[in-house]
Amino acid sequence: MIKKVSGIISALLLFLSCNRDDIFDPLPFGNPELSLPIPHGFPALNNSVNTNKPTKYGVELGEKLFNEKKLSANNTVSCASCHHQSNAFADNNIQAVGIYGRVGLRNTPPIQNMAFMQFYNWDGNILQLEKQPLVPIITHEEMNSSILEVISKLKDESGYKNLFKKTFGDEKATPERIYNSIAQYGYTLISANSKYDRVKRNEGAAFTESEAKGYQVFQQKCAGCHSTELFTDQSFRNVGFPLNTNTNEAGRARVTGMLADYMSFRVPSLRNVAYTAPYGSFGQFPTLRAVLDYFDNGVLDADNLDPVLKNNNRRIPLTGEEKENLIAFMKTLSDSSFVGQ
Amino acid sequence: MKKINKYLLLSFIPLALVACSKKDEIPVANSVTLHFSNTFKNTPIVLGNASSSTATVNTSAEGQAHRFSEIKYVISNIRLIKADGNEFPYNINDLDNGATVINHSKSQTLDYVLSNIPAGEYKQIKFGLGIKPELNTLDQARFPKFYAEAGANDTEMMWEWGTGYRFTKLEGFYGPDNKEMSIHTGSTVEGGAGNYTQGVDAYRDITLNLTTHAVVGRNAPAINIKADFDKLLSGKANTILLTSGTGMNDNATPNIHTAVQMMKFVDNLGGDGTSDISGMFSVGSVEN
Repeated sequence: MIKKVSGIISALLLFLSCNRDDIFDPLPFGNPELSLPIPHGFPALNNSVNTNKPTKYGVELGEKLFNEKKLSANNTVSCASCHHQSNAFADNNIQAVGIYGRVGLRNTPPIQNMAFMQFYNWDGNILQLEKQPLVPIITHEEMNSSILEVISKLKDESGYKNLFKKTFGDEKATPERIYNSIAQYGYTLISANSKYDRVKRNEGAAFTESEAKGYQVFQQKCAGCHSTELFTDQSFRNVGFPLNTNTNEAGRARVTGMLADYMSFRVPSLRNVAYTAPYGSFGQFPTLRAVLDYFDNGVLDADNLDPVLKNNNRRIPLTGEEKENLIAFMKTLSDSSFVGQ
Repeated sequence: MKKINKYLLLSFIPLALVACSKKDEIPVANSVTLHFSNTFKNTPIVLGNASSSTATVNTSAEGQAHRFSEIKYVISNIRLIKADGNEFPYNINDLDNGATVINHSKSQTLDYVLSNIPAGEYKQIKFGLGIKPELNTLDQARFPKFYAEAGANDTEMMWEWGTGYRFTKLEGFYGPDNKEMSIHTGSTVEGGAGNYTQGVDAYRDITLNLTTHAVVGRNAPAINIKADFDKLLSGKANTILLTSGTGMNDNATPNIHTAVQMMKFVDNLGGDGTSDISGMFSVGSVEN
């Protein structure tokens, strides 16, 4: 009897040990941490970057997932379907278009320099990038799937098994691993190589006369909100733009429950802004000129209209020449290497 | 040796049978059924659309007639309090086995059976309207059953953008011209307990004293819980006048109106957690 039992146990052990991956793969892959190139003058990293540091294979896996259409219920929509690299990871639709052509509530935001952001999305509902990937996966107008459905499609693909193993030590696809690797890829999308940057870094580039004048106007009339090297102070403001009448829209108030945040949106970064038309939370403005004309003509009033506008007759007065120069300056924020050109 | 063992084992069987059939033996546990009755004051609600002649119509303190076409809400974090004050938590950290969606149009969801409740006398029940923040993450891998129940096409108890569950979903009509009314509640709170960084917590903890003690043992009691939706607009916390539109103070149709407006409904339905710990709920009776 004892002999029999021990025989079974040892057979089981043998079986288990044969299944262990490291027998076939005695040299585990190294997965080195990537050092993020932190551009001069950029603000501090979001704390989450330190608990989910980008690694060589984590980023590779994240990029593969970012381009993976199987994240959607009918395998037609990936993250990259709306976040085109050539548009600084935004697109040119007025509002985002997802599965079955369903139209979302808002304009697709460009995704860049996210490692340095403290708030994500137009209303800042997400504070840690790792919490973002689930949202489009389950949203009816985006991918209309679920994380277990996604995992069931990916878990047996050799490409993924291989990358999960290289990244995390074994082949298992878990929700957290998917979220973390997509976030790791997101953290590496850093744009800081525009003409503006090369001028600032004294790398031989120089503003044209129009760009230089535009930069002056910018500092006088725009930099109060579009501040820091990210060109946003990451505050939420109601600037009196035309209102989205969809009853789901309340701006940041939907998140915070504060009337002071009603129809307030995050000040968008102006980096790569020339690539990301149309503009506004639901694509109200087709061009940069249209945005500037609107500020010049006067914005909508509101109880919580930003004081900068409230105290200036709801306007940012700009001459035609100032607008042209401002647009010339904003185009110096285009980072052609970031958009793959 | 083998044979002896067998007989020894057999000899225990009649003994066991005798023990089981003893009449004064009380089971160590039994089930408790929570039965939810959705009412306007004391009138049971009948759902109906704008043109329905059978839908129950209620009038608010502000004089607005209103009716529902849909009533859904989440109950979780259930605790039964014994006569001696000890608390029995019922799968409070397991949404698959301790939370449910009450859906007025599906009668089977109005009875939620708590199984394996230790025998004894219970004097009070506590439960949550909604889901406490630490479990409100749409974690499908951890709670696949509840995720499926809440996310089903006919249930729609999810807030995708907030990656949390809807706690209540009320659809209906109001006013003389039957304008659309769509009131959804849920949490947007971020960060760890006690250290929330932004958002609102729409979870409400409810405490109800039982009208008579529920005696669990030989019997499996039923606790009848009344949810009086008259409180939605005419609550202890807020008297609400519905207005349609897209302004910051409009509150009737916005699917996910500003969280400011939403919290008034939350406090009416679930209490404010301090002076009002029962909201719209009360115990109608206990059947032992």
